[in-house]
Amino acid sequence: MRFRRTAQAVFLAIFLLILAGAGPIAGSDLFLRMDPVLIGVAALAGRALAWAFIPALIVFVSAVLFGRIFCGYICPMGTTIDATDTCISRPRSIDENSRPISPRLKYYILAFIAGAALTGVTFVFWAAPLSLITRFYAMVVYPVLLLIIDAALSLLYPLASLLDIRPLMFAEIPNPRYSAQIFVLMFFAAVFAASRFSPRFWCRYLCPSGAFLGMVSRKPLIRRHLESGCNQCGICADKCPMGAIDRDSPQITRHSECIVCRQCAQICPQNAIYFGTGPIENIPLRESVSPGRRQFLVSGLAGAATAAVTLTGLHVVAGDEAEKGVVRPARLIRPPGALPEFDFLAACVRCGQCMSACPTNTLQPVWFEAGFLGIFSPAVTPRRKYCDPECTACGRVCPTGAISRIRAQERAWVKIGTAVIYRQQCLAWEYEKSCMVCDEVCPYDAVEFEKRPDLAYPVPHVIEDKCSGCGHCEHACPVYNRAAIVVTPMNALRLSPGESFEYEAKSRGFDLRLEPKDKTAETRAGPYPGSEIPDAPPRESKGLPPGFDEGG
Amino acid sequence: MKKIGRRMFLIQAQRMFGLAGASLLFPPALWAQQKNTDIAVVKGDIEPAVKKAVKMLGGIDRFVKNGSRVVIKPNMSFDSGPERASNTHPAVVKTLAEMCRKAGAGRVLVLDNPLRPAEQCIENSGIGAACSSLEKGMAQTVTDSSRFSEVEISNGKSLKKTEVIKEVLNADVLIAAPVAKSHSGAGVSLSMKGMMGLIYNRRVMHRLDLHESIADLASLLTPQLTVIDASRVLSTAGPGGPGKVLTPETIIASADMVAADAYAVSAFEWYGGRYNPDQIKHIRLAHQRKLGRMDIGNLKIDKTTV
Repeated sequence: MRFRRTAQAVFLAIFLLILAGAGPIAGSDLFLRMDPVLIGVAALAGRALAWAFIPALIVFVSAVLFGRIFCGYICPMGTTIDATDTCISRPRSIDENSRPISPRLKYYILAFIAGAALTGVTFVFWAAPLSLITRFYAMVVYPVLLLIIDAALSLLYPLASLLDIRPLMFAEIPNPRYSAQIFVLMFFAAVFAASRFSPRFWCRYLCPSGAFLGMVSRKPLIRRHLESGCNQCGICADKCPMGAIDRDSPQITRHSECIVCRQCAQICPQNAIYFGTGPIENIPLRESVSPGRRQFLVSGLAGAATAAVTLTGLHVVAGDEAEKGVVRPARLIRPPGALPEFDFLAACVRCGQCMSACPTNTLQPVWFEAGFLGIFSPAVTPRRKYCDPECTACGRVCPTGAISRIRAQERAWVKIGTAVIYRQQCLAWEYEKSCMVCDEVCPYDAVEFEKRPDLAYPVPHVIEDKCSGCGHCEHACPVYNRAAIVVTPMNALRLSPGESFEYEAKSRGFDLRLEPKDKTAETRAGPYPGSEIPDAPPRESKGLPPGFDEGG
Repeated sequence: MKKIGRRMFLIQAQRMFGLAGASLLFPPALWAQQKNTDIAVVKGDIEPAVKKAVKMLGGIDRFVKNGSRVVIKPNMSFDSGPERASNTHPAVVKTLAEMCRKAGAGRVLVLDNPLRPAEQCIENSGIGAACSSLEKGMAQTVTDSSRFSEVEISNGKSLKKTEVIKEVLNADVLIAAPVAKSHSGAGVSLSMKGMMGLIYNRRVMHRLDLHESIADLASLLTPQLTVIDASRVLSTAGPGGPGKVLTPETIIASADMVAADAYAVSAFEWYGGRYNPDQIKHIRLAHQRKLGRMDIGNLKIDKTTV
């Protein structure tokens, strides 16, 4: 028992550490890749072999040999539920006959998801444990933790300043914020509260990955056995958190339900239980909780049918996003390297790793804006912050390749959209104020200022072919609420894996070069590089450079 | 009652009692005989030029006392190197910081709230490395709102309150160390415009009248010493560049931020032309509000070469 607790704590700690360090740490998607259903469905729905399925394969083999040790020892979802079960309530012993639902339900959920995946639609993010738990820690727990640390630092500030402790004085704690995080919280509140009905309620009744591992571990090599000393007292059946032991005849183990926690072996008053290899016992088929064949099939068909219904949703993109009749949110900017929309949604498991790794917190989960199929998928939100055109973190941590890995030297060419100016809101165009913030912050030098005779100050234009859609301008625009310069998905490059962004961008006539940081502009054309001042004189003063006036 | 920090008190006290104080410091006979340098202009290598310029104003001891808490405000808002002239040269910042420490400053901080990603700014500008050779953690970018405090600007016409970096409010001495550069919104970006790097919400100033709010901010954040880095001047396409970079190899120092800015406007070519200080509205406004003087013809300007 102590060994299991230690193992669980260690694996949870590793999971949390690499999640917190997602981005800088390589392989931060390791745990996600262990989830066989998550990886399998991503491969099935995305019609591509997920590039790194080996951890899932290892988990699969481990289940065949040793039973569901992944569930009992490694899965961070299971560990978290164990912990909250202890906190929330000691469940009364359950009468298996009056239990709320059948443990078979999880098999039907698995079939439902698999059926949908066959049609190219992924529902896996509603139920795959690693997707759920990653999202929970990344979007609910981690931001709150940082909020508390930041508040503590603020409280300590006067003391730090007094003692001149620089690291404390100037430590800036990132404050990630997420939309829709409250729904993640509500979901988990329900999962945790379900411990009132039974321990590990999620794992017992709902988890499709547990179901999959259960299906392959009906007769694992190492498993529970009874010795002759058993007096059928039934304590083990009472205490089994998974309901894997038959109440009437405790010698019967439903191995597909057993997570090898060995609690039964420890509490057995007769010391009659051991885990190991042993003789093959006869398990009556009726005692197994394996799914009925017909229900399994029906669930799969239901999944496929539901998927078909979602495919008739208004916001579904079947091919090119720019096609006639496609209705998309006007501002849905996908992360750099996101596959073409349909493939992207099929491959994305909504784990939230990309959003957690995003250093600027611009990646946000969308809720219903992109239709039912788009729930929890990531979108760039430039008003929150720009998408750093030198950063490749999201693609690096994506477990399924829904966001491609981009080579550093190609990153600047990954156009995610195009900025558009709303002149009616622009301080320079409409309010006749001196503002050039968009130009000041643009790393591509894609904003040009024009001095016009009819306006007091120079006004901005976007040079579309030089704009990558990074959103520096939208983030910095001083206009309230909606910025006067906003990024739209126009001309975003959504390529399949292996295609070259630089080649594609150039062939479309884009010139996406980051401004060199160490060069001067002596060679550049025009009298006023960077802020073109054409010949037309300004209204109040003739031929003066920007910001200068006649004096007085 | 409105709380004011030590620095604010000093600023206001200085403004109220400035003349009286000066006459106490300098016996009348001496005062009449030898007028202090108002603007020091030194051509030459950065380190000796900065030292000489400050010396001509009366030495660093005039500004920094034993135990003083000093904040130096350079330009390090851009993630570009010194050759582009959108940031202050690291040697200027380092020399000033070193002088302050020698004068016995209790704490020297180099602070800015940068426009571009903070870590890249502090690294690429070279200021981070130059300062940490003196003391680790000296140069810092400050962007977290909790590190700012709201202050009212009692004489503000456009900008009536703003949030200032707490460490600036805590400091005894503020030194402006801007690079001389053009600015497509404000005309030029010198010591007055540079104070926008010490507040949290600089964007609001574009919604207001930019020039007027720069003057408002200068009435709140008035450096005791201004050292303008004109070793390179970004003559066009400021503030970020790339633009035409002049290399006057000059350092301008003054105890009057408006005078220093005014001199820099008149001394260099901007967008291929020559202009008077009064053609920059925020300088004109600051002069009218008596925050400093732009009539540099009436000031004592001393020039030398090192």
